[in-house]
Amino acid sequence: MHVIGFGLAALGVAIGLGMIGMGAMQGMARQPEAIGKLQTAMLIALAFVELVFLLTVFVALGSLKPFFPG
Amino acid sequence: MNELLIGSSSLLAAGAEAGHHEPSFLGVMVYLLIVIAIMMGLLLAAKKGLKDRVFKNKLTQATEQLYLFLENMALGIIGPHGKRYLPMLMTFWLFIFLSNVLGLFMDSTPTSILSVNLGMALISIGYVQWEGMKSNGFFGHWSHFAGPKLPIVLVPITLMIFVIEIISEVMKNVSLSLRLFGNIHGGHQAALAMNELGAGWVPVGAFLMPIKLLTCVVQAMIFTLLTCVYISLVTHHEGDHGHDEDHAPAAAH
Repeated sequence: MHVIGFGLAALGVAIGLGMIGMGAMQGMARQPEAIGKLQTAMLIALAFVELVFLLTVFVALGSLKPFFPG
Repeated sequence: MNELLIGSSSLLAAGAEAGHHEPSFLGVMVYLLIVIAIMMGLLLAAKKGLKDRVFKNKLTQATEQLYLFLENMALGIIGPHGKRYLPMLMTFWLFIFLSNVLGLFMDSTPTSILSVNLGMALISIGYVQWEGMKSNGFFGHWSHFAGPKLPIVLVPITLMIFVIEIISEVMKNVSLSLRLFGNIHGGHQAALAMNELGAGWVPVGAFLMPIKLLTCVVQAMIFTLLTCVYISLVTHHEGDHGHDEDHAPAAAH
């Protein structure tokens, strides 16, 4: 069951990362001269979305620990 | 899958347990020394080419490119005075990148150990506070956390904003360190889990190496970038503070 939960968390984060990438790509295609700024902002957004998944994993593993003896 | 989960959870809870090889304190120091030795060697070799009028040394050229890249980043995010913070940013970038790359070859690496990352995040956030206090003054910096100036009746609100801002400042440490740790350590665990597919004699996990190399660069960049953003948040408006909304999208400058 917990594996399904992790899968769902990964699914949500993957959708978020994909949307960030899509938005950045569209922006870059429309304004190629702004690529540098867009990349910076995109990377920051990617980092924050990715952090959500990492936090999910750590918090979930911490609360799941009683179910994994050893 | 279960082994993977148990390995990580025991690491989170108590450190080394059966199945996972967390280096001891001395081991961590040895890994750190290896990374620092590589860094010193590379930079000393790059320094030799500095005497030429035109840089012919390949290593010097590469280091110059890295420097220009980081300088552009600092100038773009922090502003015209961003050059002042370059030594710290360069050190962070090089250390994280080299230890990430070391992790592709070795069993463990400094950035896949949570305590090393937490130490680095503490240094980064402490440096940000130091620079904020240097540019805005002690009270100017800390009153920045209290939000806009409100009438005297609303002191409880100001207090609440202050507490929340301090908590979010502390959580920056956690987010910086957990992001780096999760990416690097998670990459190792994924490679190990993929190696299981090869039934012990086909290193399937090696196919993850290209994307792990990408992660190495990106994580080093993100750590440096976020340090830049935090510095820009505390040093951007010298003199007037109180409207956080204006400089929240610091990367847009």
